[in-house]
Amino acid sequence: MGRYHFVFPRWSNLLLPAIIVFALTAPPYVVFMVAWGFSPKTTDVGYMPTQPVPFSHAVHAGELGIDCRYCHNTVEYTAMAAIPPTQTCMNCHLQVHPDSVKLKPLFESYETGMPVEWIKVHDLPDYAYFNHAAHVNRGVSCVECHGRIDTMEVVHQVEPLSMKWCLDCHREPQPHLRDPDLVTQLEWGWAMTDAERIAEGTKWAEINQLQPSQDCSTCHR
Amino acid sequence: MSSGPKRQSDFLLWKLPRGFFYVAILMTCAALIPPALIIRARSTPRDSRRIHLIQNMDNQPKYKGQQQNILFRDNRAMRQPVPGTVARSQMVGDTHFHLGTVDGSYATTYPSQVTVDMDLLKRGQERFGIYCLPCHGAIGEGDGPVHNRAMMLLNLAPSVSNGTTWVQPKNLREEAIASQSVGQLFFTISNGKNNMAGYAAQIPVADRWAIVAYVQALQVAGDASNESVPGADSLPEHRIVMDEDVTEAEVDEDKEGNGS
Ligand code: HEC
Ligand code: HEC
Ligand code: HEC
Ligand code: HEC
Ligand code: HEC
Ligand code: HEC
Repeated sequence: MGRYHFVFPRWSNLLLPAIIVFALTAPPYVVFMVAWGFSPKTTDVGYMPTQPVPFSHAVHAGELGIDCRYCHNTVEYTAMAAIPPTQTCMNCHLQVHPDSVKLKPLFESYETGMPVEWIKVHDLPDYAYFNHAAHVNRGVSCVECHGRIDTMEVVHQVEPLSMKWCLDCHREPQPHLRDPDLVTQLEWGWAMTDAERIAEGTKWAEINQLQPSQDCSTCHR
Repeated sequence: MSSGPKRQSDFLLWKLPRGFFYVAILMTCAALIPPALIIRARSTPRDSRRIHLIQNMDNQPKYKGQQQNILFRDNRAMRQPVPGTVARSQMVGDTHFHLGTVDGSYATTYPSQVTVDMDLLKRGQERFGIYCLPCHGAIGEGDGPVHNRAMMLLNLAPSVSNGTTWVQPKNLREEAIASQSVGQLFFTISNGKNNMAGYAAQIPVADRWAIVAYVQALQVAGDASNESVPGADSLPEHRIVMDEDVTEAEVDEDKEGNGS
């Protein structure tokens, strides 16, 4: 036999279109997956740590109807909506379910003075400044940022808490505003149509003359 | 070269080596894994902290409220005031305003810092709704939702109710309390009484006076005769009937909720 000549088989003509198709789909695929997968809506929303005491907002805030401010009583005065101290639970639990195993860490804390080590669910980066009083007193309800806490057995994060999310509302707060007296009524407004809700929000934006700031120094100070 | 059926040889795809098909199928399957993982992450809550590849000064070496600092024995980064010291805002200069006492006995008048008007009563109503209603009920009769729930628990075996005991919250409109001075009411709210805890830590001083004013308004309203309400003759006798309906409906609901 003569010298061997390599000849591309005929099917290799297919490789060119295959490469083009791959080159056109792969980069958008990667970009899309990174944007979708690393978005705070994927990485942050749904964080639901197991707390040392199986405290249920659905029972306390929902069924028993205790107002958020009974426990988070600093929310109207300060930047922070503090987690209640052990004493607040003891107002009731010295008498209700005192021997419950679920409440053991609470009673240990009551006797020793050591804090109950609740795990923080909503956690902004340390370089961002947030203020509860500024929002709550101007008619932004807990439900806009924390969801229906009063139906949750275990608290989890429902909003991304990203900078885009903050700014979306600061640019157009109308659909999220209400009477400042109703901020802890989480079920308020759910039966309204969008148009009614926006009309109501627009009314309160005017009454309280709200103009949320978009300056960097508002939130990065 | 023998000529086979022309059609078949034209259809190049079938001439590709098998390996190409396997690789293509594998890659398509592999490409479906990330979206599946992402959809799962988006739809189910999870217990683990977010993965934090780039730290971005998210956690700075400083302490914010209620954080942990293991340098201290109680792990609290927030320190308690040194014993014997008083923060400026917590100064008790005026016992009438801050403690509800004048010369060692309960004050019988409102302190000068408080003006009793409609705004104060409105504030008191709102604050009463937050801090007192769970036990004492909307109009102070001692039948709040927590009381109702506790009574239900008392009917259960101690092993289910975990040793629940319960003293009924007082009916704030009964004579023994209606005859108390404003100072004594303020003192009870601040420091508690027997089985009721004090609310000084939860309610600022001015709001406690607003609650006192509202409790007094409830007491007056409870004894009010029809003549003292303008136009009362034309009002239908609704209120009492409604109240009973509501409590019965609530209790029924609670029972059902518990049984299921
Ligand atoms: C009986 C007391 C009590 C009441 C009433 C209450 N909470 Fe809480 N809340 C707690 C405790 C204790 C925690 C910490 C444990 C946890 O995260 O579940 C908490 C945690 C939270 C958190 C999560 C904080 C974090 O770590 O990021 C949010 C948000 C919250 N509460 C909102 C609300 C809202 C809104 C209401 C009113 C509908 C409310 N709470 C009523 C006691 C209470
Ligand atoms: C205003 C009264 C009140 C306060 C304040 C309160 N609770 Fe409760 N809690 C109740 C009542 C009433 C129940 C019983 C509900 C039931 O069994 O149906 C309960 C039930 C519970 C249970 C379930 C116990 C069991 O064994 O089933 C836990 C856990 C609990 N509470 C934790 C807490 C914690 C933690 C706090 C403080 C942040 C707190 N509670 C504050 C009234 C209160
Ligand atoms: C505009 C959005 C917004 C509203 C309205 C809001 N929160 Fe928050 N909340 C946040 C953010 C953001 C954090 C996380 C703060 C941080 O990490 O510094 C947070 C944290 C918390 C915490 C954890 C403790 C803390 O302060 O870090 C509690 C408890 C809480 N919120 C309760 C409430 C309650 C109760 C209300 C309604 C009265 C409310 N929040 C209304 C956005 C909001
Ligand atoms: C649902 C709507 C909404 C969301 C979400 C929201 N804000 Fe706001 N924010 C407001 C409104 C309304 C005001 C009040 C503007 C005014 O007073 O004119 C405000 C005011 C503020 C202020 C100014 C406080 C002051 O001292 O005047 C800060 C800081 C702030 N927001 C930070 C944030 C941050 C950080 C986030 C995201 C974690 C956020 N906000 C998310 C509606 C929102
Ligand atoms: C309404 C409040 C708000 C305003 C106004 C705001 N930011 Fe932010 N910014 C945030 C929050 C909240 C975060 C943290 C988001 C997160 O958790 O990833 C953030 C994050 C950032 C980051 C870090 C992003 C990252 O992931 O590394 C940069 C950079 C930044 N902001 C720049 C700016 C600049 C520049 C401006 C002015 C044009 C500005 N911000 C205005 C709230 C705000
Ligand atoms: C956790 C349930 C609970 C809450 C919340 C509560 N109380 Fe009470 N209260 C009680 C109980 C129980 C008693 C009866 C105490 C006893 O005699 O053992 C009582 C008694 C009283 C008395 C009568 C004291 C006396 O002289 O006999 C007054 C007045 C009173 N409460 C006012 C208030 C006010 C005002 C608030 C709101 C700031 C409030 N309470 C919140 C449970 C509660």
